[in-house]
Amino acid sequence: MVTPRLRLFAAACMLLGALVPARLWAQFLLVPMDDEQRNHLKAYGLTYNAIKDGLRAEWFLNYRGGSFLLPDAADVRRRAGLDGVTVEPISASRLGAIRAEIAGGNMDAIPLEKAPRVAIYTPPDAPPWDDAVTLALRYAGIEYATVFDEEVVRGDLSKYDWLHLHHEDFTGQFSKFHIAYRGAPWFIQQVQGAQAMAQRLGFPNPPALKKAVAERMRQYVENGGFLFAMCGATETLELAMAGFDVDIAGNFADGTPVDGNADAKMRWTRSFAFANAHLEQSPFVNAQSDIDGHQVNVPGRRQPLGTFTLFSFSAKFDPVETILVQNHRTVIPDFYGVTTSFMRRVLKPGVSVLAEEEGAPWTKYLHGHYGKGSWTYLGGHDPEDPQHGIGNPPTDLALHPNSPGYRLILNNVLFPAAKKKPLKT
Amino acid sequence: MRSRGARSVALAGLLLLLAVARAGAQQVSGAEQRGLLLEQDEKYREAAAAYREALATTPGSVMALLGLERVYAQLGWPDSLLPVIDRSIAAAPREPALRAAQIRTLRSLGLTDRLQQAFERWTRDMPGDAGPYREYARLLLQDGQLRTADSVLQRARARLGTGRGLELEQAQLRAAMGEWALSATSWYEALERAPYLEQAAILSLVATPQEMRPAVRRDLLAAGRNVPARRVLAALELHWGSPQDAWMVLRDLPRDTATFAAWSEFARRAEDAEAWTVVRAALEALLRERPTADLALRAARAALHGDDAESALALVRQAERGLDSAEAVVVTVPLRLEALAALGRAAEAQQTLDAYAGHASPELQRRQRALVAWAWVRAGDVARARALLGNDVTAEAGEVSGWLSLYSGDLATARRTLRVRGRATPELVTALALLARTKADTSAATGDAFLTLARGDTLRAATAFEEAAVSLRDARTLLLAVAARLHAATRDDARAVLLWSELATKDAEAPEAPEANLEWARALRRAGKHADAVERLEHLILTYPNSALVPQARRELDLARGAIPRAS
Repeated sequence: MVTPRLRLFAAACMLLGALVPARLWAQFLLVPMDDEQRNHLKAYGLTYNAIKDGLRAEWFLNYRGGSFLLPDAADVRRRAGLDGVTVEPISASRLGAIRAEIAGGNMDAIPLEKAPRVAIYTPPDAPPWDDAVTLALRYAGIEYATVFDEEVVRGDLSKYDWLHLHHEDFTGQFSKFHIAYRGAPWFIQQVQGAQAMAQRLGFPNPPALKKAVAERMRQYVENGGFLFAMCGATETLELAMAGFDVDIAGNFADGTPVDGNADAKMRWTRSFAFANAHLEQSPFVNAQSDIDGHQVNVPGRRQPLGTFTLFSFSAKFDPVETILVQNHRTVIPDFYGVTTSFMRRVLKPGVSVLAEEEGAPWTKYLHGHYGKGSWTYLGGHDPEDPQHGIGNPPTDLALHPNSPGYRLILNNVLFPAAKKKPLKT
Repeated sequence: MRSRGARSVALAGLLLLLAVARAGAQQVSGAEQRGLLLEQDEKYREAAAAYREALATTPGSVMALLGLERVYAQLGWPDSLLPVIDRSIAAAPREPALRAAQIRTLRSLGLTDRLQQAFERWTRDMPGDAGPYREYARLLLQDGQLRTADSVLQRARARLGTGRGLELEQAQLRAAMGEWALSATSWYEALERAPYLEQAAILSLVATPQEMRPAVRRDLLAAGRNVPARRVLAALELHWGSPQDAWMVLRDLPRDTATFAAWSEFARRAEDAEAWTVVRAALEALLRERPTADLALRAARAALHGDDAESALALVRQAERGLDSAEAVVVTVPLRLEALAALGRAAEAQQTLDAYAGHASPELQRRQRALVAWAWVRAGDVARARALLGNDVTAEAGEVSGWLSLYSGDLATARRTLRVRGRATPELVTALALLARTKADTSAATGDAFLTLARGDTLRAATAFEEAAVSLRDARTLLLAVAARLHAATRDDARAVLLWSELATKDAEAPEAPEANLEWARALRRAGKHADAVERLEHLILTYPNSALVPQARRELDLARGAIPRAS
């Protein structure tokens, strides 16, 4: 029953609503992701935290660089103001017009429902500044947990929706850095730490431990997890999975030479992205295989950096690939890493190429499904430090708030939050 | 269409070519001369016919073949050149210019296989020569084919038993491959043979990333005192923002003409970079070896720019010994007065002014009086300064008069004069902000605060500005902000924070409030109170969203939250 007091309250509310100018209070906030956006990277953090706080969000694929729609809540406005994220208050009628535009073009609106639980695979004592994903998450204000060998072997990966790997060498050969850095204190410490960890977890040597870790990761994806790897982790994870029962580590790492017939014994059915790659068996050549096109650490093989181009997908038919390439730039300067790129000839059929260097025999950015889960590989170490060397000062993302390369990383972070629609292709 | 200037340059080039050819062993034939002149007149078809005629008589003529290469390029017929080059090479197989033209043409036509074959043939025909490797590697480098260029140079080293003659290409290759230390080694070797490559070396190595610079330094400083290599390293250090290191590289070179030239060039570069301390060091080193009045004056100016007025005075005295008195009046007296004014030695400045008064032009005298007036200000005697300027209404005197009015608390006159006369300095900005804020026409306390600051007593000036804030109510927050800045400059963080916090909390509407919040937050972060700093910064950003300080506040917020690396 409507009491007179309630009527009076309703009338007061309506009057108040009429007095508040539309520009001060709208129903929605559009977070544009085109060149109007002042801080693209923090915009991801704004959206992630809104979802985490239980708000509904949408991702407008291909609409103004892949914009986000958030409810016009005081907390969202506050955070946007603090972070310098551009937001545009919009009314329901304006939203209707945007939806009509999205319906009519190569665009789509994807609901974002649940903030993914993020884990980064990193040694416990690693500084946070040597991994582009950690840099991006910290800058954007997205919370994450760290896991390493012990947690992975223990089976903790099932607690997370999203797992990131960076430049870990899953073949257990320490990125073959013994050639150049065998006397460096940090390298000696790294080797000793890995040996102690292997021993503690019951493995004879680091290569055996890393293979077990890689196997757990394979199972994680098979069971529905999402894995995002960059730099050397991409290539070595593949080698460790395919070479699960083959000796692929050099004498310096496990005390025995590489199996001379290792190439033939690799079981590529166990890997996600690559097949028929050739292992680099020489301990004196700083490369793991011929998967990487750039071979940055091999004088004479090293290829110069160019630019890579993001592919355009149909938002309505390939929403996953479209999510992963949302950007305000389509051509991005390339950047080196222990593994910089992926040769086209070793890609498995069915792998989606998200970006490549035009005219080059390599690709840069890959995505695919495995079991119930999916994975994405992005070559290179740090999109804003193209020549990254050991000991380089860390990248200050406050100087690159609109970095298109870092946006690719953050697309992957938000990707698991997207409500799964039945795939149309 | 070519411009007249471009045509003149081309004509000069061709005439030079003619002159060189005439002076050299090769005789210039009539057909070749005709070809050059027709080419100059942009009659390319006719020029081509003339060059072909010359080649028909002398198939191995380098001048005719290079002329034909140029005009065919203009006509878009480079492919027609190939059979001609083949005939020329058959006639003069040991002529490197013809071989180079051949591989250049094949490359421009994109005939990769034939290019490779031509290169191989060249190496076979001239087995001990670095020429083929050098030319081919150069083209590969231009095309960005680093891997192939690398193998060509490695092969050259293996075949020739030395890398001599290929240092430049080696250095460029290593730099392009990011192998900076190896590039530096190659540049070192190249500079030993060809010092004129200095600029090329600087351009190539300036992009060396921070972490590789120690290796580049080590290799350019390798055993032996290679002056060009040191000059390169000094220029690099200047580019990298390390002027002191730049000077260290040069200062211990053996005292000879080449070194003195290097020091002189370095001083010039350092002057451009406004690295005054090392400018002075380099000029003083030169002075010890080859003393001249000009060097002493440049060193004195550098010392003044570097806030070392005492040394400037000594250098001025040294310069005076090499000049006659008439020159000294014009050149050294202003510098001497500037140094004395900076030191506040007003009596000496006045004495100098009086001694040279008759020798200077009226305009120079006015400028010098203004300098001496500043000396009296720094000595604390505003009355003497004012008396010295008298009724002078020129620009220099007007500016000093404006400041003198402010120092004596006459804000109305200061407001009128400084607004139109003052040179843009941080002090003037503060003074004008104050004069715009307050409606008061007089304030002795404010004048005293500015005067104390002008005399260089920052500590006392900070307190004086706080005291002035008590009496000048409508500019209170501005004066307190100045006081807080001065306390911070004297490292009295506690007092500064007290003032900032007072401004931030009690004067939230004041224009100084955003700055007060920012500085307070910075102090909190320095004290490790990150949560408090975050709260203060969030308050600033949300309360004053249009403040120009918001970007700085966001950066501080990122640092306080640990969102970006702290070292940056």
